[in-house]
Amino acid sequence: MRGKFLKVAVAATATAMLATACGGGGSSDADGDAGGTLRVYATEPASLLPSNGNDEPSSLVIRQLYRGLVKYNAETGEPEMELAESITSDDQKLWTIKLKDGYTFENGEPVDADAFIRSWNFAAYGPNAQNNGYFMKRIAGYDDVTAKDPDGDGPEEAAAPVAETMSGLKKVDDLTFTVELSAPFTGFPITVGYQGFFPMAQACIDDVEACNETPIGNGPYKIDGTWEHDIEINLVRSDTWKGEPGKSDAVNHRIFADVDSGYAAFQAGELDVMYTIPPARFKDAKANYGDRLFEQPGVSYNYVGLPLYNENFQDKRVRQALSMAIDRQSIIDAVFDGRYAAATGFVAPTFQGAREGACTYCKKDVEKAKELLAEAGGWKGDKLVLWANAGNSHEAWLQAVGDQIKAALGIDYELKVNLQFPEYLETADNKAFTGPFRLGWLPDYPYLETYLSPIFTTGASSNHTTISNTEFDSLMKQGDSAATIDEAISLYQQGEDILAEEMPVIPMFWRKEAAIYSENVDSFVWNRVDGADYSATSLK
Amino acid sequence: MGRYVIRRLLQFIPTVLGTMFLLHYMTSLAIQFSGNPVRAIFGDRTPPPALLQAITDRLGYGDPCLEQKGNPCFGLFLDRVSGVFLHFDFGINLRRQEVTDLVANAIPFTLKLLVIAIVFEAVVGIAAGVWAGLRGGSFADNLVKISTVFVISVPIFVLGVVVREFVGVKFGNILRDQEWIPDVIAYGFFSPGFKPDYPFASLLIPGMVLGSVALATTARLTRTSIMENIRADFVRTARAKGLANKRVIGVHTLRNSLIPVITYLGVDIGSAMAGAVVTETIFNVPGIGRLVTQAARTGESPVIIGVVTMLVLVILLVNLLVDLLYAVLDPRIRYE
Repeated sequence: MRGKFLKVAVAATATAMLATACGGGGSSDADGDAGGTLRVYATEPASLLPSNGNDEPSSLVIRQLYRGLVKYNAETGEPEMELAESITSDDQKLWTIKLKDGYTFENGEPVDADAFIRSWNFAAYGPNAQNNGYFMKRIAGYDDVTAKDPDGDGPEEAAAPVAETMSGLKKVDDLTFTVELSAPFTGFPITVGYQGFFPMAQACIDDVEACNETPIGNGPYKIDGTWEHDIEINLVRSDTWKGEPGKSDAVNHRIFADVDSGYAAFQAGELDVMYTIPPARFKDAKANYGDRLFEQPGVSYNYVGLPLYNENFQDKRVRQALSMAIDRQSIIDAVFDGRYAAATGFVAPTFQGAREGACTYCKKDVEKAKELLAEAGGWKGDKLVLWANAGNSHEAWLQAVGDQIKAALGIDYELKVNLQFPEYLETADNKAFTGPFRLGWLPDYPYLETYLSPIFTTGASSNHTTISNTEFDSLMKQGDSAATIDEAISLYQQGEDILAEEMPVIPMFWRKEAAIYSENVDSFVWNRVDGADYSATSLK
Repeated sequence: MGRYVIRRLLQFIPTVLGTMFLLHYMTSLAIQFSGNPVRAIFGDRTPPPALLQAITDRLGYGDPCLEQKGNPCFGLFLDRVSGVFLHFDFGINLRRQEVTDLVANAIPFTLKLLVIAIVFEAVVGIAAGVWAGLRGGSFADNLVKISTVFVISVPIFVLGVVVREFVGVKFGNILRDQEWIPDVIAYGFFSPGFKPDYPFASLLIPGMVLGSVALATTARLTRTSIMENIRADFVRTARAKGLANKRVIGVHTLRNSLIPVITYLGVDIGSAMAGAVVTETIFNVPGIGRLVTQAARTGESPVIIGVVTMLVLVILLVNLLVDLLYAVLDPRIRYE
């Protein structure tokens, strides 16, 4: 018996050692040869289909595999033609898109007018339930391809949509197509740089599930093998891509479930780029990798919305007073270790047309705040209820906001931070907040309109404050149909001025984007619209 | 023996159904009280109702009973049970991947991790227990006693993070600077987490962390058991017969001392699976545990129900095997 036991133990140990040795026989770590493999931090993408991947991890991979009509300049964020030869319109409503010749998908299919039309129709068609479908909402005929729910909220079977394709998309010839919008929109050429507008091959539409696992792209990289769920996604440089080639030979996306374990891997030299830093390790990262830490005010917006459907918030002077009672920078320093930038307007500071200090009531001025509140007849409600969703440590900064309001205006407050995110969002959709509520916003495209129309026009889908200002609405409309982008921007800016007076929301902060990269990286490129740009980042 | 096994297998049915119902009820309550998890996918952006409805239905959250607080949703439960047992359909997660595929992808990693943990805790734990048990009161005994108390009192999520930061990152970085250390040690074994390049070597430390708490208990159990048996009559008889010391310890003492240890190791497979939830998350092992953690964070009820039901089945089977093993180890135990 004893002899047997020992034999088993020895055999087990031997097997273990053998397996270890085998495991080590393969690749050794990249020493950073020119070209080389760029190893990047990633989390599990929702989808690798351009029509469906709408989250950051998805778009970081999709943008290497696929390319669209325009790309955004890394430094300025301005759109530049990529697959498109030109995007023109006389009336801002009917757009003619001419494509460059010679581009193909990995499987040899041409990237032609059909590739775009089929991709946009696939995304928009309601029963396909694609996350990026709503980006097509400006195209004429969008309503006909999405089913209306007969009784408003299920469970009754929704009727099939009237049409399968949008009437606004028309092919002229192989390399030309026209897009008719349901209303004029000057910013249309800017929006098509988003991955939801990227082309898809016919073979991909025929079997979307296979295409999700093994994408058939048209970009600077192609997939190596398949998507290894929860483990890694390997990309290698594509031979068919005609545009500017990717800098490194391959990109290895290692998937982490927990950002802290990703940071440990970075510390151990296993990653070259981490596009985000765990908040708790930010100070550590700054101390250790200060010269290899990239930081820039981002586009992720945090605001405190005011429920205009509640009688206590209907006087704009009350709203102005609340905003002026808050010292944003002190909250950022105390609660966030400086990882945010104080908001001084309603549009991301990196956007074209953003103006520093557009929001005059966003500076702390207790005297003025008191005056405004007194003019409005004082605070009439009970305790001010401050809302936030549970589980994302919003309590800390919201409490600071409450304390500052209490100190400045003498309004007592309580926190309501126990709702989980889904229920919190439903509360927002149902307009059931009883006090100021925290919400955020991420832009759909790098055009300041994205921070204004969807949140503040009357009846807009994400207008959670229910503000309705006819002058603002008409400025947005005029901006949409302006002849040039510059003209449009100045109209939108006038709209922003109205918001700065009306203060339907209290702008709070912009999250700073922070990324770290290893010593192997020669030049790290951050696109101010898309974030980390792996194909332009080169290794030593 | 056969009838006993059949009786035990029949007992599985109510246990599994009961577990599934509890899980089903808890996840349904979570949705009833905290809202449709599909809405959270869209975040601050309000989706068009038609799109929200289409995706909600596609993901199986469309049952109207999920909007009535406290409703046990028997209809949905029956659908789920028949889906699981009749069609082997465990549903899909929020990313529209089949739960069965997710589990199939994840299970090899968890099994490897469990085997490493169990081998580690059995070999080292029993060896340390025998070493200490045969020399009661000596330095060896005290060393084992003190070190095991130390390990038992540190929770696994603390131990895991400490090992990752100090062994994987700090100590590992020193090794990685040395040219002469083979890559498999420096980059594989001492990696601060699972690494696809070294799929086995990089699992060893997570496996050891997972096995460490049970290792301490195993060592202490073995030690006590050996100390008891060494004074037993049959050991004295064996010595009196003039058997060699090796045989007295190896066959007579150790074999009888292992009964409680084997029981413990069997039960421990269940708690090791629970521990894997923490360990796999800390060391980024793409196994069942990490899958459950992610599903719990995003409220993906089909994943939680599917995976936990499978875990329950595994634990039931292992417990049955352990019970059957008793009879092999101890001839006095018979199953009718």
